[in-house]
Amino acid sequence: MALSETEVARWSRQLLLPGMGEASQELLRGARVRVTGGGLATAPAIYYLAAAGVGTIWIEDSDPVTPGCGAGFALGPEDEGRAKGAALVEFGRWASGFLAADPYRAGSRPTALVVCGSSLDVSRAIADEARLLRLPHVVADVDGQGGAVTTVPVGSPCYSCGSRPGLGAAPTAEGGAAMGALAALELVLLLTGASTEPRARRIEVFRGTPLVRATARQAGCACAGPAAAGLAP
Amino acid sequence: MIPAVHLDLRAHACPITWVKARIALSRLAPGEVLELLLRDGEARENIPRSAEEEGHEVLRLAPAPEEGPGAWRAWLARGASGEVPSWP
Ligand SMILES: [Zn+2]
Repeated sequence: MALSETEVARWSRQLLLPGMGEASQELLRGARVRVTGGGLATAPAIYYLAAAGVGTIWIEDSDPVTPGCGAGFALGPEDEGRAKGAALVEFGRWASGFLAADPYRAGSRPTALVVCGSSLDVSRAIADEARLLRLPHVVADVDGQGGAVTTVPVGSPCYSCGSRPGLGAAPTAEGGAAMGALAALELVLLLTGASTEPRARRIEVFRGTPLVRATARQAGCACAGPAAAGLAP
Repeated sequence: MIPAVHLDLRAHACPITWVKARIALSRLAPGEVLELLLRDGEARENIPRSAEEEGHEVLRLAPAPEEGPGAWRAWLARGASGEVPSWP
C-alpha cells in the first residue's frame, strides 16, 4: 500500500537518501522487529528503529527499571520500579506516532530481531534462536564506551562465528547509545536492501575508530548445516 | 506525448516538493511522463536539476501563466533505470 500524505511528510528527509524510496519505506512499515536481550543498547535501538519508520516493535525486557540500568536514554527516575519492558513500550510509542509498540509475546512472528544482550552469552543464545528461525538479526555488543554490531542476514555466518572478544570493559550508557543506534541502522539497511557488500559484517567501534569486516564461518559451526545452505524446510 | 500523472506542487515547500515528485516518478514505467505544476523559485530551480541527477529527463520547463501568476509547468520523463540510486 502506497505511503499516505502524512507518512510522506513524516519520512520526507529519509525518502531522499540514496537507496531509500517509497518501496523501502513500505518495507520498514511492514517490518515486525523483536528487540530483546535487556542490554544497554535496547532503548537507543528502539528509538532509532521507530525514527526510521519500522511499523511494529515488540519489546522483551522483564527486569525492573533501576538506577543505572541503562535505560536513562529513555526513562527517568519516575520510571524506577516499573517493568522496563512496559516503560520502553511507552517510550517507543512516544518516539513515533506511526509505530505499533507492544511487549513481545511468545508465539508472535517477528520478521527480524535486534539483539541487545546484557551479556555475550545472552546475545549468543538469542542470536542462535533467530538463526534457527531463519530471521535476519543484528546483535549489539556494548563494550566500554564502544562495542560492536554484528549483522546476520539469513543463511550467513552466525553471530558466534562473526564475533570475537573485545576489550571486555564495563558497558556504559554512551556505548549503549552508539551501539543501539548503529544496530538500528544496520537493520534498516538490511531490511530495505540498501546495505552494500559485505552484508554479513561486523562493525567494531573501539576508541572512536570504526572497523568494518566481513564475517566468516568457523569450521564445524552448526550454522554451516543445511539451514545455512537454504536446504532446510 | 501525454503525461501519465499530473501533480500540483505549488502548495508545498522544499523538501516535500522533490519528495513527492521523486515518489511519483518511481511509480512510473521508464519513459512515462510526469507533469508538474511548480512555483517559480526554489521548486522551479531545484526539481528539474534533482530529476536529471537521478537519471530522469526534463522534456519541458516553461511558464504556465494560465495556471496563475508565478506558475511553471515541467514535464519529466522517468529514466531508464528502475532503481532508486544506492549508496556509492
Ligand atoms: Zn556459525
